[in-house]
Amino acid sequence: MIAAVLTAVVAIVAACSPVASPSPTAAPGTGQPAATAGASSAAQAPVTITVGVLRPGATQEAVDALNLQITEFEAKYPWITVVPQEYNWTAPTFTAALAAGTLPVVFTIPFTDGKGLIAQHQIINIDSRVRALGYADKFNKNVISNGQDTSGAIWAVPIAAYGMSLTYNRTLFTQAGLDPNNPPATWDDVQAAAKTIAAKTGMAGYAEMATENTGGWQLTTSTYALGGRMETVGADGKVTATLNNDQTKAALARLQTMRWQDNSLGSTFDYAWGTINQAFASGQIGMFTGGSDLYTAMVQNNNLNPADYGVSVIPLASSPTAGVLGGGTLAAVNVVTTDAQRDAAVDWIDFYYMQKLLTQAGAVADAQALKANNQPVGVPSLPIFDKATYDASQGWIKDFINVPAAQMTPFTSKIFDQPIVTEPTAHTQELYAALDPVVQAVLTDKNADINALLDGANKAVQAILDKG
Amino acid sequence: MIALPRRGRRSSDTSERGIVAPADWRRPRMRWPLLAIQGAVLLFLLIVGLGPLLWMAKAAVTATQDTLRYPMAVWPHGIDLGQLATAWSKTHIDRYLLNTVVIAAGSWASQLIVATTGGYALSVLRPRFAGLVTGLVLATLFVPPIVLLVPLYLTIVHVPIANIRLIDSYWAIWLPAGASAVNVILVKRFFDNLPREIFEAARVDGAGALRLFWSIVLPLSRPILGVVSVFAITATWKDYLWPLLVIRDPNLQPLSVRLPTLQASTDLGVFIASLAISSLIPILVFLLFQRLFLNGAGLSGAIKG
Amino acid sequence: MGTLTEAIPAATRTRRRGLRVRLTRDSLATLLFLLPLLAVFGLFSWFPIIRAFVMSVQATNLVSEPTFVGLDNFAQVLADPQFGIAVGNTLWFALLALVFGFPIPIILAVVMSEVRRFRGLYSALAYLPVVIPPVVSVLLWRFFYDASSRGVFNTILGWIGVGPLPWLQSAGTAMPSIVIEATWANAGATVIIYLAALLGVPRELYDAADVDGASIWQKIVNITLPQLRSVLLITLILQLLATAQLFTEPLLFTSGGPNNATLSILLLIYRYAFQNSLGGQYGMAAALSLMLAAFLAVFTAVYYRLTRGWSTSS
Repeated sequence: MIAAVLTAVVAIVAACSPVASPSPTAAPGTGQPAATAGASSAAQAPVTITVGVLRPGATQEAVDALNLQITEFEAKYPWITVVPQEYNWTAPTFTAALAAGTLPVVFTIPFTDGKGLIAQHQIINIDSRVRALGYADKFNKNVISNGQDTSGAIWAVPIAAYGMSLTYNRTLFTQAGLDPNNPPATWDDVQAAAKTIAAKTGMAGYAEMATENTGGWQLTTSTYALGGRMETVGADGKVTATLNNDQTKAALARLQTMRWQDNSLGSTFDYAWGTINQAFASGQIGMFTGGSDLYTAMVQNNNLNPADYGVSVIPLASSPTAGVLGGGTLAAVNVVTTDAQRDAAVDWIDFYYMQKLLTQAGAVADAQALKANNQPVGVPSLPIFDKATYDASQGWIKDFINVPAAQMTPFTSKIFDQPIVTEPTAHTQELYAALDPVVQAVLTDKNADINALLDGANKAVQAILDKG
Repeated sequence: MIALPRRGRRSSDTSERGIVAPADWRRPRMRWPLLAIQGAVLLFLLIVGLGPLLWMAKAAVTATQDTLRYPMAVWPHGIDLGQLATAWSKTHIDRYLLNTVVIAAGSWASQLIVATTGGYALSVLRPRFAGLVTGLVLATLFVPPIVLLVPLYLTIVHVPIANIRLIDSYWAIWLPAGASAVNVILVKRFFDNLPREIFEAARVDGAGALRLFWSIVLPLSRPILGVVSVFAITATWKDYLWPLLVIRDPNLQPLSVRLPTLQASTDLGVFIASLAISSLIPILVFLLFQRLFLNGAGLSGAIKG
Repeated sequence: MGTLTEAIPAATRTRRRGLRVRLTRDSLATLLFLLPLLAVFGLFSWFPIIRAFVMSVQATNLVSEPTFVGLDNFAQVLADPQFGIAVGNTLWFALLALVFGFPIPIILAVVMSEVRRFRGLYSALAYLPVVIPPVVSVLLWRFFYDASSRGVFNTILGWIGVGPLPWLQSAGTAMPSIVIEATWANAGATVIIYLAALLGVPRELYDAADVDGASIWQKIVNITLPQLRSVLLITLILQLLATAQLFTEPLLFTSGGPNNATLSILLLIYRYAFQNSLGGQYGMAAALSLMLAAFLAVFTAVYYRLTRGWSTSS
C-alpha cells in the first residue's frame, strides 16, 4: 500500500518536472543515433506520443508483446516516450473521435479513408519525414497512392494490405462430412457446403456481415469476385455510381436463395467485423468472407482455437474483370501535434510497422516479441512493397511462425495468382453505408426486392458523389 | 408536491381500505378469487421482474459453452466462479465501476450545489432579477434534452470564455448535470414553503446570508435533498449517450459506455459476469434504500401531476 | 411574505454598517450564491439552446468555418428518405409502447393496491428492473433475443411448441422486441406512481359506492380510474415525450436495423452528427432536433388543451 502511494507520488513528481530537464534515461545522445531519421539533430528534447494500437479487450499477452516492442523503440529513440492507447477503427465511431480531437498522435485508418482525410487536411503532411527514411520509392504504387494527395505528397503510410478471403471452420467442415483441406472453389460450392454444414451441424453454414458499413464492404467483395464494379470513373474524372450492376444483383440473389430456400445462413444477420469474428471463434459459423489477416484479431480477442481455422481464396468468376477486393491500413498522424511529435510519430511508424517488412533485424525482433507472448506470427497478408521484399520478409520470420500455416495454404498458395482490385475510390464509406440496409433487407425480409433496393441505394450514392 | 406526504399518511392509516369492501374480504366466495389474482400477479412479478436477473446471475457462473448450448439448463456441468474473477480483474470491471462511482458522485455534488445555492438565492435572498432568472430556468424545462445534444457537445469540445476542451474530463459530465431545472425548481419551491419566522429569528441573532444558508436552510431541507439525491444518482448511473460522446478514453469510461464496446471481444460467460457485477450495486442500493426509491418514484408522479 | 423575505438579508447587518456597504455586501453574497447556477446554466443550457438555433441555419462541421445557409439544413432533412422512415418508426414505437406500456401498469397497480400483506415485496419486484442500468438490460436482452433455436426466449417458446422467432433479426419483429424490453425496463416506475395515486383515493368514495351496492368492477370503472385520471394523463404525455427520444435501445439492439426498421428520430440525429464518415452534419442534426422539439411543444400544448377539461372535472 505504502509502496503504491510512493510510486504514485514519484510518478506525479516526475510528471511535473520541467520538460527542459530530461531524466537520465532520456538523455540525448546515449542511444544509438536514429539511423533512418536523416533530419534528426544531435540534441533531442524529450517528446511523448500516444499511439493507437490495442484493440478493446486485448489479452494481457498482446499487451506484453506491445510493451516489449515499446521498450525496444524507446531504447533506440531515448528521447521519445510512447504511450499506447486503445484504438479500434469503426466507421460509426471514427468521425466523432476525429471531431472531438481524441485520436492518438498515431492512428490507423482503412485505405478508403485516406483521400478524404487528406483532402480536408484532417491528418498531417508527413511527406518530407517519410521520404527521409529512404524507402518511399519502394512502395507498391497502388498501395502508397491511398496515402498520397493529388500532387503525390505522402500524408499517410500504408502499413498492411489484405486480400479478401474465405474464412472457414475446419472442425465444422469435418463434422459435416466435408474435406477441410479442399475448401469450396466456386460460389456454387460455397452454397452447397453452406447447406450441408447447416443441415449436419445446426450452425450457420455461411454468414455475412451487415452492419457498421461492413455489409456494403462484403457486398462489394462479392461483386468484384463476379466481375462487377460499384463505381466507374469517366474520362472527365466524373464518378458514376453503379451499385445496381448485374453482378451485385447476382450476389444478392444468391444470398437470398441461401437465406430463404437453403436456410443455410443461420439466424443472426446483424454481424459487424468484431461480432462475426467472435461468432466464428466460438464455432457458430461455417464460412464467411473477410480480410486474410483476421487470424490475429481472433486469437487476441476471441480465444480462437487454431485447429478450427481455415482460410482460402475467394472463388472468382471466369470474367476478365473478376478480382479480389484488396484493402489495407494506413498509419496517419494527428493534426493537433507539435513538429517534434510529428517526427517522433514517423519514427514510430517506421519502427513498429515498417522495419519488420524491410529489414531482417526488424522482422526478427518483431517476430520474437510476438512469439514470446504467444501472439500470431506468420498471418497471411499482401505486399506493401514489391513481391521480392515480401518474400524476403517471409523468409526472415520462417523460424518463428506459430500459426497453423498448413491450414492457410489454400489461401497463400493461390492469392498471388488472383488480380487484386482496390476498393471504390470516391466516398467509399458512404457507399458502403448505403449498401448496409440492402444487405440487411435481403437477409431479413423474404420479399425484399433486390432491384428496387439497389436502385434506391444507387440514387442516394450518386447524390453524394454529385455533391463532391 | 405537498400532496404526497398527506397521501402517504393516509395510506399508512390502519383503517385503510381499497376498492374491495372489508365486508367482501371476509366472504370466502370473494376472498379466494381475489387472493388467487394477487397470487397470480405475484408469480408474474417474480418471473418477469426477477427471472431475467436470476438468469443473469446463473449465467455469470456458468461456462460459456453451457450457456450457449443449454441456455435454460441450471448448471449442466457445474459452477464456474472464475468468470466473475476474470470479469473483475482482467476485463477491468473494477476500474469502470470506480469510474461510474466517481462520475455519479461528482454529478450528485454538482447538482446539489447548484440547486441549493441557486434555490436559496432565488427563494430566500431574492435579488431584483430573481423572477427573470427563475423564468429562464423554468424555460429550459420546455426544451427537450435532444435539442441540447449537438450544441452542448460542441460546447464541451470548446468551452467558450474558459477556452478549454473538456472532452475526456469528468467535468464534461458533472457541470452540465448541474444545469438541471427540475432540481432547482424543486428545491426553490421547498425553500418557498419554509416558515419565514425562522429566517426572521436568525436575522435577530445577526446571522448573515451564508450562516442562514448553512446552519438553518440546509438542515431543514434534508427531505428534499434526499429526493434530489436519488434522482441525481440514478440518472447519472443510467446515462449512456452523453458519457459515450464526451468520455472517449477507455480508461475513464463508465460501465454503461464500456460494456457495449467489450461485448464483441469478451468471452460470453465473462461478459454476462460483467453485466451481473454492474447490476449488483444498483440492486443493493435499491434494496437498502427501497423506501426512498419507491417514495421518490411515487413523488415524481405527484410533482409532475 | 415576499416583502418579509426581502427585508431579511437587508436588515441583517443594519446595526453595524451603513446602507450602501450593506447593499453591496448583500447583493455580492446573493450573486455569489447565484454564481454556480448562472455559470452552469449559462454555459451548458442557455448558450447551447441559442446555439442550436444558430447552427440550424449554418453549414458547420468543425473543420471549415461555418457558413450561413438559410433553411437548407431543414430542406435537406425533409428530403432525406431516412427522415420519413425515422418518423414512421418513432410513431410505430410510440403506438406499440402505448399498447404494451399503458394498460399493464394500471392493472398491476390496481391489483397491488388491494394487497394487504407484503405489498412492499410486490413493489420491490415491480421496480427491480427499473434500477438495472439500461445498457445492462439491453445487452442482457440482446442475448435473450438470440434468434437461433438455442436462444433463451426461443428455448422457452420451444417448450410450448412455438417459434423460433427471429426477434431482432427481422424488420417485422425488431421493433416489437425493443418495445417489450423497454416496457420491462420502465413499467415498474409507472406502477409505483399509479400505486401512490390509488392509495390516495379517499376511502369515503368506496364506502359510499358500497352503500349503493356497486360491484368491484363498477367501483374500478366509476371511482378508481376517474380518480387516477389526472395522473394517467400526465404519465401518458410523459411517456409519449420519452418515446419521441428513443435512442439507447435501437442503438445497442440493432443500430437502427435491419434495413432501418428501428431507426428512430434521435438515432437519425445521432447519425447526422456523429456517424457520418468524414465530418459531422451538425447543421442538419440541429435542424432535426429543433423540428422535433417544435413538434413536441405543439403536441404537448394541444394535448393539454384537449385534456384540460377531463383532468379537472373530477
